[in-house]
Amino acid sequence: MCTGRIDPAMVARAFQKRLDGLMVVGCYFGDCHYISGNVQAKAKIDTTRKLFKHIGVNEERLAFRQCSSGEASVFVKLVTEFDEKIRSLGPLGGDGDRVKAPEIFGKLEAAEAVLAGEKIRWVMGKRTPFLETGNIYGEIFTEHEFNRAMDMIIVEEIEVQEILAKLKEGARSVKDLAGDLAIPSERVFRYITALKRKGMVALDNVADRSPIFQLVPQEV
Amino acid sequence: MPENNDQDIRIGVFICHCGSNIAGYLDMEALSDYAQTLPNVTFVQRNLYSCSEGGINEIKKGIKEQNLNRVVVASCTPRTHEPLFRSSCEEAGLNPYLFEMVNIRDQCSWVHMREQEDGTAKAKDLIRMGIAKAALLEPQESIMSEVCARALVIGGGIAGMTASTALARRGYEVVLVEKEENLGGMLNHLNKLGPTMTDAGDLMEEKIQEIVQHAKITVFTQSRVTAVQGFIGKFEADIETQSGVKKIDIGVILMATGGRAFVPEGLYGYDGQRVITQLEMEQLLKNGLNSDIKNVVMIQCVGSRNQERPYCSRICCQIAVKNAILIKDQIPDATISILYRDMQMYGVENEEMFRDSKAKGVRYIHYDPARSPQTESDQVRVYHSLLGREMALPADLVVLSTPIVAPEDADVTSQLLRVPVDENGFFLEGHVKLKPLDFATDGVFLCGSARFPANIREVIAQGLGAASRASIPMSKGSVVVEPIISVLADEDACRGCGLCVALCPYGALEIRHTEKGRKVHVIDVACKGCGVCAATCYQHALTINSYTDQQLEAQIDAFLIED
Repeated sequence: MCTGRIDPAMVARAFQKRLDGLMVVGCYFGDCHYISGNVQAKAKIDTTRKLFKHIGVNEERLAFRQCSSGEASVFVKLVTEFDEKIRSLGPLGGDGDRVKAPEIFGKLEAAEAVLAGEKIRWVMGKRTPFLETGNIYGEIFTEHEFNRAMDMIIVEEIEVQEILAKLKEGARSVKDLAGDLAIPSERVFRYITALKRKGMVALDNVADRSPIFQLVPQEV
Repeated sequence: MPENNDQDIRIGVFICHCGSNIAGYLDMEALSDYAQTLPNVTFVQRNLYSCSEGGINEIKKGIKEQNLNRVVVASCTPRTHEPLFRSSCEEAGLNPYLFEMVNIRDQCSWVHMREQEDGTAKAKDLIRMGIAKAALLEPQESIMSEVCARALVIGGGIAGMTASTALARRGYEVVLVEKEENLGGMLNHLNKLGPTMTDAGDLMEEKIQEIVQHAKITVFTQSRVTAVQGFIGKFEADIETQSGVKKIDIGVILMATGGRAFVPEGLYGYDGQRVITQLEMEQLLKNGLNSDIKNVVMIQCVGSRNQERPYCSRICCQIAVKNAILIKDQIPDATISILYRDMQMYGVENEEMFRDSKAKGVRYIHYDPARSPQTESDQVRVYHSLLGREMALPADLVVLSTPIVAPEDADVTSQLLRVPVDENGFFLEGHVKLKPLDFATDGVFLCGSARFPANIREVIAQGLGAASRASIPMSKGSVVVEPIISVLADEDACRGCGLCVALCPYGALEIRHTEKGRKVHVIDVACKGCGVCAATCYQHALTINSYTDQQLEAQIDAFLIED
């Protein structure tokens, strides 16, 4: 098995179960026993770190490092440094993180849903081709452009997950959702329109001239 | 059969002392007492050496007498001992993939020699995780696949020709593809081969005759391999020949595309006339030198061991010494100076050739790359680091020793065969020591300067070696693949989106049109089980045998359990 097997959704789930830190140690690039699994692993961990930062989990809790099997001293150094780092951060959702427990666990649940999602997995997976050979239109992205696009996707995907989580608690209007989640109402409206088109939310009723939306139960 | 899944899970845990390697540092009694308390564990035993005959018999006895249907051995590393324990399970009638190994030595007792309490606690964690996973293991069957007894050799230089002849003599069909008009590769441009001073043309003719006269070898010149599909034993290659594209079924592939000599444009006044390369020197020597040439200066490491090409091409020193001797043979009173950084003359014969050249009067002058030599119209200026002053060496001819560099189309070939190249563009073998002539991809082998600059003798040895490696699967007729590979566990969930296909490093996945629509198909024998697909599939349709989401999740849960 390769570091490429690590499913980022699994990582987010482990943190929900009170993991305080995770270091993924892979081979050096070009030296991967599985050719390019480590490249995939790095893309996944990088994205997960961005997502963690966005939701208020200290991204230092998650690390991707490289070391060869012949480099015992490097490995010891990596582990020692990471151990010290996590000890200084303390337990998840404490002083080391922007968002505190128990709220942090709800955030991680939303992060897990994002990381399990289709959109982010395509973008994570296609990082190398986007940067090297280009998309289907032959457009090659710079690292900066790719990161900016990824940042945007992370914000949108997390907000959508937060809306879905809120609607799980009960039907709400766009205005209520915007207020509860501190997301601008025009963005909430855009997400709701898209979710409606996908058949994930539907109009429940109209109260006080405001449409109220509810979650459509999904077949598993 | 004990491996029936309908039965209760009965896990046997064997904890190895490894003499004192584990028992000397961890509390073994605490470990076995603890293992006894874990779910599904019905039998726990400690052994002095689990891998000894006695230890193996205890495992077999446990399986039979305790009716165990899962076995966990907590001991050393699976790298060395997993095959042994698996086969022991198999001998006792248990499917070998219902075995799980926990490393409490290399990753625990050896690391925590001074912390018995913490080390024991960590070993408990590791054993608990292994047991949690073991409970979810499923039996697996090994995968067999036929191997087509035909080899594709790419590159008709000395490496490819040697390998082709060796394979044909063993009775295998060989398809040899060469992009140039003639076979021979670099030999076409060489004069004499050191240290024996064999005539390159004679050697080449001999090799070519062996090829063309062998009924089992089909040669395509001025041809290119444009597509390769499939996997070990069942590759299909498209070869663009002079008479159209040919599709050929093959079992193994040998990569022998060679290297090329670096052309030092813009360096040391290179003009191909008065300032030439060693390769051009070969041609001059072949034609016979102009007797006006009295002063020759050779400069080593031109375009190599610098920032752009940090490697030592390692054969240029031999070539320079050899050519210096050959110049001396033709023009005995010629003055020859070789400006060098370090002389790379490995091997007894090369060392002798080096001494021989000195006896013949070839001069060696060390230069510092920070004050590299300057070529002028009729002389070369060099700072002599031992004398501590600049010298001017008259030069009728300046010969630059340039490195062998990777072929221009190395990246194309790399993508075609899905094999890696290193930072210098040379092809990267599967393992420096364990698999020097194999790629990590099964059924694809390499030899010659495509791997790294090599002299003729080394290239021939590599060609023979690669042919030998390549003939193993062909002589067996079939390959057995470990079934720890990707599987489409949930066909209905698969949408046939193709993300996994795009990311698979081995080309082991493909989309097929089925009655249920587009679905991914795993090519068993091509899959290495890296798990990139399973970690990427947002539908969770793909998983890896023995590393399923559920099994990994169970290990994580077992680790994070509050105790």
